[in-house]
Amino acid sequence: MIDFENLTDEQLVDLSLKDDKNFYYLMKRYEEKLGYYIGRITNISPEGIEDILQEVFIKVYKNLRGFNKKFKFSSWIYRIAHNEVISYYRKNRRALDSLSLDMDGTDNNNLVALLGDTLDMEEEQISKEKVDIVKGIFAELPPKYREVLVLRYLEEKSYDEISDILKKPPGSVATLINRAKSNFRKIMQRCKVEGILHNNE
Amino acid sequence: MSDVSKKVLKEIQERKLRPYPRWHFIFRHSVIWSVCCISILLGSLSAGIVIFRIKHAEWDLYQFLNDNLAAFLLLIIPYFWFLFLAGFSLLAYNYFRRTERGYRFRAFWVVFGSIVISLIGGILLYGTGLPEHIESVFYDKVSFYRVLQEHKQKVWVSPDKGLLAGRIIKVISARTVLLEDLSGNVWTIDISGSIWQGGLTPGVEFKIKIIGKRDGEKHFVAEEIRPMDRQKQQGKSRRVKND
Repeated sequence: MIDFENLTDEQLVDLSLKDDKNFYYLMKRYEEKLGYYIGRITNISPEGIEDILQEVFIKVYKNLRGFNKKFKFSSWIYRIAHNEVISYYRKNRRALDSLSLDMDGTDNNNLVALLGDTLDMEEEQISKEKVDIVKGIFAELPPKYREVLVLRYLEEKSYDEISDILKKPPGSVATLINRAKSNFRKIMQRCKVEGILHNNE
Repeated sequence: MSDVSKKVLKEIQERKLRPYPRWHFIFRHSVIWSVCCISILLGSLSAGIVIFRIKHAEWDLYQFLNDNLAAFLLLIIPYFWFLFLAGFSLLAYNYFRRTERGYRFRAFWVVFGSIVISLIGGILLYGTGLPEHIESVFYDKVSFYRVLQEHKQKVWVSPDKGLLAGRIIKVISARTVLLEDLSGNVWTIDISGSIWQGGLTPGVEFKIKIIGKRDGEKHFVAEEIRPMDRQKQQGKSRRVKND
């Protein structure tokens, strides 16, 4: 009896190539993560997210033999998800115009990290009210900045992983993140919430 | 979220989907790298032609034209082939970034590297004579390119600046020939004392370029005569003997 939960992604890929039923366990491992990721960078219904996710998994299955084990499987599957979202965006332009970040309670903790990095705030200064304000600002960011902040702070990907997912040089990823944070600050100033965010409780 | 994984698995089994075979990806990678390499090779050919054209450009014309430097450079610099070099370098970059790790390099360095490799390749190819041959084929077969080069030759119809070009329509004597210039005007050319580049001797239908001085309405004294055909410029020069 195979213990699928303790197998690596690469081992699951090998097993999926031998028997398509094993592909189920690989999908199960990424179903929730990718669902949240797609939801975080688009503003579509759960049904829409499911449709995209199905397309992602079909593409992953068809291209399994193209996966190079020298690279991380998670970066590879996230890249396919990213490309599918782009395709969906091209067909449905409004999908990326706004955003909902009410996907997961862990978003709050991760947005705390974003606030800490962007505003140089200590953790004890960050309240739920401030995190809610940040979510609103997040939703106003242009899609390319929003996505890179999602990958960095909500998906907790490293710069190298983000480079592999977005197919950009690592230096460009760093620049993109800095610009995203700068954009974030500008929106904050425009919305005049900087005072609220800096107000100690 | 409903069980997407079950739905997908069911779809895979019902539609009998299969992963693409390994050769599909090997073929795709091969195509990408081939296009990359071919782009660099064509870039090298373009660079070789640029080197050939610059090396055989008539830089000495500048002293006769007195136009601004930019206009002269536009005349002399083989921008047609520079554009090809740039185009192939961009194509090489476009396909290089589709390779497994190509996207990790900044665009500037990939394009720069591609141009440098093409220039090195161009220098190596120049020694084989291939760029010269390719350029000649282009001149013969591509009418747009021929028209572009012929347009540049029109600078030679500047008799007041000491430049004339055309074909010899009659050899009157060892000192005098009749020339029809590129604009269709007929000139009497005094060739006594002129230097003939490329080892030419006066002959009817020869196409030539002349450096000298205008000496009347349709009279020109030649100091130096060059063949219009660039390849013949490689030959030795000779001074015409007076009779």
